[in-house]
Amino acid sequence: MIHLDRVTYTYPDQAKPALADFSLDIHPGEFVLVVGPSGSGKSTFLRSLNGLVPHFYGGQWAGQVDVFGRDPITQGPRGMAHLVGFVFQDPEAQFVVDTVEDELAFSMENFALPQATMRKRVEEVLDQMTIAHLRDRRISTLSGGEKQRVAIAAVLALQPEVLVLDEPTSQLDPQAAEEVLIALRHMNEDLGLTVILSEHRLERVVQYVDRVLYLPSLGAAPVLDEPRAVMSQLPLVPPLIRLGRSLNWSPLPLTIKQGRVHARQLAGLLAVKSVEAGGSGDGLGADSRRATISPAAPAGGESSPSVIDVHDLHYAYDGRAALRGINMQVQPGEFLALMGRNGSGKSTLLKQIVGLIKPDEGKVAVAGLDTRKAALEEIIREVGYVPQHPGALLFQETLQGELEFTRRGHAMPLDAAADQALLERLNLSHLAQRDPRDLSGGEQQRAALAAILVANPQIILLDEPTRGLDYDQKAALAGMLLGLRRQGATILMATHDVELAAACADRVVLLAEGQVVVDGPARIVMSDSQVFASQINKLFRDPRFLVVEDVLRELAAAGVEEAALLEERGGK
Amino acid sequence: MRDTFHPVAWLAWLAAAALPALSTRNPLYLSLLMLAVGVTYVALGRRSPLAKSWGAFVRFGALLWLLTIPFVALTAHYGTIVLFQLPANWPVIGGPITGEALLFGLASGLSLISLLLVFAVFNVAVDQARLLRMTPGFVYQAGVVTAIAVAFVPQMIISWQTISEAQQVRGHRVRGPRDLLPLIMPLLVMALERAIQLAESMEARGFGGQVITGNSTARARGQLVMLLGLGALAAGLAGAGFWPDRPVLLGALLGAGAAALIWSFWDQGRRVSRSRYHRWLWGRLDRVLLVVSMGAAIGWLAVWLGQGEWLFYYPYPPYSPWPAFQPFLGLLILLVALPALLLRPEMTEM
Repeated sequence: MIHLDRVTYTYPDQAKPALADFSLDIHPGEFVLVVGPSGSGKSTFLRSLNGLVPHFYGGQWAGQVDVFGRDPITQGPRGMAHLVGFVFQDPEAQFVVDTVEDELAFSMENFALPQATMRKRVEEVLDQMTIAHLRDRRISTLSGGEKQRVAIAAVLALQPEVLVLDEPTSQLDPQAAEEVLIALRHMNEDLGLTVILSEHRLERVVQYVDRVLYLPSLGAAPVLDEPRAVMSQLPLVPPLIRLGRSLNWSPLPLTIKQGRVHARQLAGLLAVKSVEAGGSGDGLGADSRRATISPAAPAGGESSPSVIDVHDLHYAYDGRAALRGINMQVQPGEFLALMGRNGSGKSTLLKQIVGLIKPDEGKVAVAGLDTRKAALEEIIREVGYVPQHPGALLFQETLQGELEFTRRGHAMPLDAAADQALLERLNLSHLAQRDPRDLSGGEQQRAALAAILVANPQIILLDEPTRGLDYDQKAALAGMLLGLRRQGATILMATHDVELAAACADRVVLLAEGQVVVDGPARIVMSDSQVFASQINKLFRDPRFLVVEDVLRELAAAGVEEAALLEERGGK
Repeated sequence: MRDTFHPVAWLAWLAAAALPALSTRNPLYLSLLMLAVGVTYVALGRRSPLAKSWGAFVRFGALLWLLTIPFVALTAHYGTIVLFQLPANWPVIGGPITGEALLFGLASGLSLISLLLVFAVFNVAVDQARLLRMTPGFVYQAGVVTAIAVAFVPQMIISWQTISEAQQVRGHRVRGPRDLLPLIMPLLVMALERAIQLAESMEARGFGGQVITGNSTARARGQLVMLLGLGALAAGLAGAGFWPDRPVLLGALLGAGAAALIWSFWDQGRRVSRSRYHRWLWGRLDRVLLVVSMGAAIGWLAVWLGQGEWLFYYPYPPYSPWPAFQPFLGLLILLVALPALLLRPEMTEM
């Protein structure tokens, strides 16, 4: 039993409390999802369960907490470690030793458990998390999903009553995230472990959980209720639930399976052939697949000269092949999403295009420049590259300073008015004099983008731009990228985020093991894929429908007046 | 990575191999040592990416050595074997260039290279993280901290690459020290962020063990014994200068001091309650390596302390520039190649 009673907590040097008069009860064996926009106090709440707040962070605390009969305030994190297992967001930053088996034993050694007990528990958690095959591996050689499962196993070894996870999947690709979530569900259902999890991408977890805790904003009163009830009040929800809410579906569907029941009723109106076919992409006839379904830019591109031309590109890091014969052309003004598992070569390909690394074999031409011959200065006049971690870029004392630094790097004259206009466009003008490192995740991402866009590149490369962003920030980013495209920019975006790709991209290139597996218009590729399909597409399995707006528009066109009205509501 | 021999056996090997490198400049012994260590290195094979980085390190050492030879040879100007003369009015390098100086330059770099090689093999053979975790209780924390610091380095290298790429595409070029700021600032911030996350994670996982706080008398006793031990050691060391003719007293002081310190460390370690997951098994080969290496190390130590002139080498007059060779010492050095003989193929697999 977890019981918080009138908890108020304020971080040091902050005026406003992060938790204000916060009370709730969580029952043993529950699976609770914690949602809310960035900075609404999710992490603070989670950290109060094992005493990291206030012991690790300091600040002012008032109120009572009881976690399975113990008080984290008097026990401190160390005293709670065997009761509350805590898993962090970044799989890299939480490991202490370097091999899997030793990592699993580390906490137990600290608790001076007898060796026989440790042996038994290591075997148990290896099996529970299905990582027995990794036991002798070095942690640095594991994939993100494997690392996160090892991190969970390491805290489970102490046999805690509660498992608390702070956005454990935000750094993972969809498949790796699925692995982790399946493991969590198993721990919850089979072993009765209480699981409390915060997560931005609701569509991944909402179907597994018993209750959802919604924190609307910093210090606001929380809502804790069963998923459907909370989903109907959240301002930003996954596309499936948004569609359900727009069309007044009742009960509100939480899973694709539940949604199909409703989708079937629309099938007649929308002339969808393949709702029944469900998961199988083959519901689409070969003809409809070949048909070009209004891709916004020419996909074939025989006529116009391509602005990026990758020809038989091979590249290896220290003898390990990363790219193996990539062929790809990008037309001016195209918005292309590069998708694929972690380690499939997406980032490497982007670095090749901006000329940071040179081909081992083959050729990369960008805006007519051969990256092997052209100097980096020439290439970056045409290409802007926004790396995955905005923190790698930002170092000046003010955001304005960052823009000026890029201008100097490009030997461009300083132009305060143009900078101001750019910041205005990115909704950052009020932050121009702030230290970029103090900004929130979404703001930092935009600041990094501003620092690149100030040089007016015609080709923009983005590496995982939505890592750690909430729905609101993601929607803002998508809007901004589409705006850039309307102004004529060519955009290449490496992403795991299927919904973002569905909302923005004309074309999807799927990489696997350093090779192009699929390359085609987003609508075709997504309707044809099991994994890289948007929720709405999974619902209808029809290339016409990728996002909620597609369905509403089609309904309106089919003369469904209510739908037209509802579209307006959905649009709001 | 599978382990070849027990880490303690490897520690004994380290002593046997490092002692010659530390105690002599005789090029014959050092060359023989490099040969023995080199054979072991080859036998171990490429067990880990570390081996590769050590290879680079050894090459760097060799380069430094090659650079020091002409430096010593050109600046010493002492000896009887004159190779050639440089005009005396040239500053520093002017004067006779001698064979002795050349030999001296060769010999002094050789011990450095041998030592580097010895440590390269040790690092390739033994997982340092595991070795650190074998440390006794009272230095356990220090061991873990070192292990974390070591694990931090590769992450920092990755961060550095990410940052320098990110700044390059903004048109940043490093032309002078001032241009390093855009690289160093993000690196520091990222390292700090990571360190804080790691600290938080360790705190949440109960790092630090459960310290059993003894009663105040036990603590006071521990502190008193440590103070007495340090005092006795200090008196013994200082006394060596004042009463060089009273070895028994000095020995007693030093011995008592050391014993008191060891006891108080052990006593403190006892109070941190923790356990060990790994239990190392001693195999026959581990024991062979341990006994032989300890024998070689003790033999060399005995010669060093008792027969120091055997190890002595100084090419300048009045000594001979040609090194002496004692077959017994040669034999001790050859024992360093023992792991290469004992290693079986399945032990060198990754």
